[in-house]
Amino acid sequence: MASNPMQQFTVHRIGPEIKIAGIDLSFTNASLFMVISASTILMFLFFGTKEKKIIPSQIQLIAEMFYTFVAKMISDTAGSKAKPYFPFIFSLFMFVLFCNMVGMLPYSFTVTSHIIVTLIMALFIFVAVTIIGFIKHGFKYLSIFVPSGVPAVLLPLITIIEIISYLSRPVSLSVRLFANMMAGHTMLKVFGGFVVSLGILGGWLPLSFSVALTGLEILVAFLQAYVFAILTCIYLNDALNLHH
Amino acid sequence: MRSLISLIIALVVINTNLYAAEAGMPQLDPTYWASQAFWLILVFAVLYISISKFYLPKIKDNLDNRESKIKEDLENASKFKEQSETKMREYLLIIENAKKEVSKIHFESKNNLDKNIKSKKEAMEKEIETEILKAKKEIVDLKKGSISSIQIISENIVSSIIENISGDRLNESSIKATVEDVSKKNIGKYL
Repeated sequence: MASNPMQQFTVHRIGPEIKIAGIDLSFTNASLFMVISASTILMFLFFGTKEKKIIPSQIQLIAEMFYTFVAKMISDTAGSKAKPYFPFIFSLFMFVLFCNMVGMLPYSFTVTSHIIVTLIMALFIFVAVTIIGFIKHGFKYLSIFVPSGVPAVLLPLITIIEIISYLSRPVSLSVRLFANMMAGHTMLKVFGGFVVSLGILGGWLPLSFSVALTGLEILVAFLQAYVFAILTCIYLNDALNLHH
Repeated sequence: MRSLISLIIALVVINTNLYAAEAGMPQLDPTYWASQAFWLILVFAVLYISISKFYLPKIKDNLDNRESKIKEDLENASKFKEQSETKMREYLLIIENAKKEVSKIHFESKNNLDKNIKSKKEAMEKEIETEILKAKKEIVDLKKGSISSIQIISENIVSSIIENISGDRLNESSIKATVEDVSKKNIGKYL
């Protein structure tokens, strides 16, 4: 029995070692659960779009609800200009959501509880949004760091703060998701350990906590996917529509 | 707020465990970072391509389909409603016309009947009047005829009475004149 609550986050190789140019790219349990999450999404969408009914079947309705949910989220936060990025944000939301949800299954692995995974996604979003901003507005995009209506005395300070907050976006975006997932799963593991160590007499209290926390973690899993997607939309909105 | 707290917790955790990755956080062990990055990019690329090229257009098509179908159905419904309304109006118009026609026919027939009755009545009255006149005339004629015959009878009676009493035959013309005179005097009583 793994008594260490961090044990669940260890990555280990599955199958043969794959090394390309001296870099270890082996298939790991993390990769396995990425594949599982992605194929779950694809399977869900396959069955959700299999029958094109006017009156949708249950799974079709759920797929369409996801579609309209993400579409509404994008049009609410980033407007109609963000339409070309809808597939990316939809994929991102679905991927994060399903990774989080698959991670909630016992004995599974939570892909999004690894900082490297969330950081790569956040960095990709950050770089892409910055490139989109410069393509759409040229050097005028730098005006995002200079808010209007600020006294001239404060302007240098505000600009520095704005630059720092802009540059910290990938960090906050990635750490938010990673920390939430890690903290939740660690907590579940700790309470699970308490149930075992307190036994049949005293284990009921941590068990009830564990049940409540599982519900909370499912909520968090959804919420963090939503937050991740909506922050991407907000960053995209900054790049597409210069408000300052 | 929650995300802020978790951020602080994570930063604290990272700071305290940065030098003890193996002991504390497996996330900070860089052995499989490259592998995770590689598989993440690969899996996500496949997911993105299949979603954007295959599934989203399908869902969008279906949603658009449904929307257009609903719109079409609503349009049809409003068209049918309009049609039924025009039919209803036509129907009401027909009924109204029929009512007008009926009242017209009623009025006309009543008029005709009245006229007919009136003319018949008039004709009848005229006939009656002529009959009455005729009858009156007949009566007068009859009276006149009776007066002249009475005169003749009276003359005869008078001449025979005189003959019987005096044994003489009187001049007929004087008798006639006397009877005429008497009857003229008394004729007003009978005519």
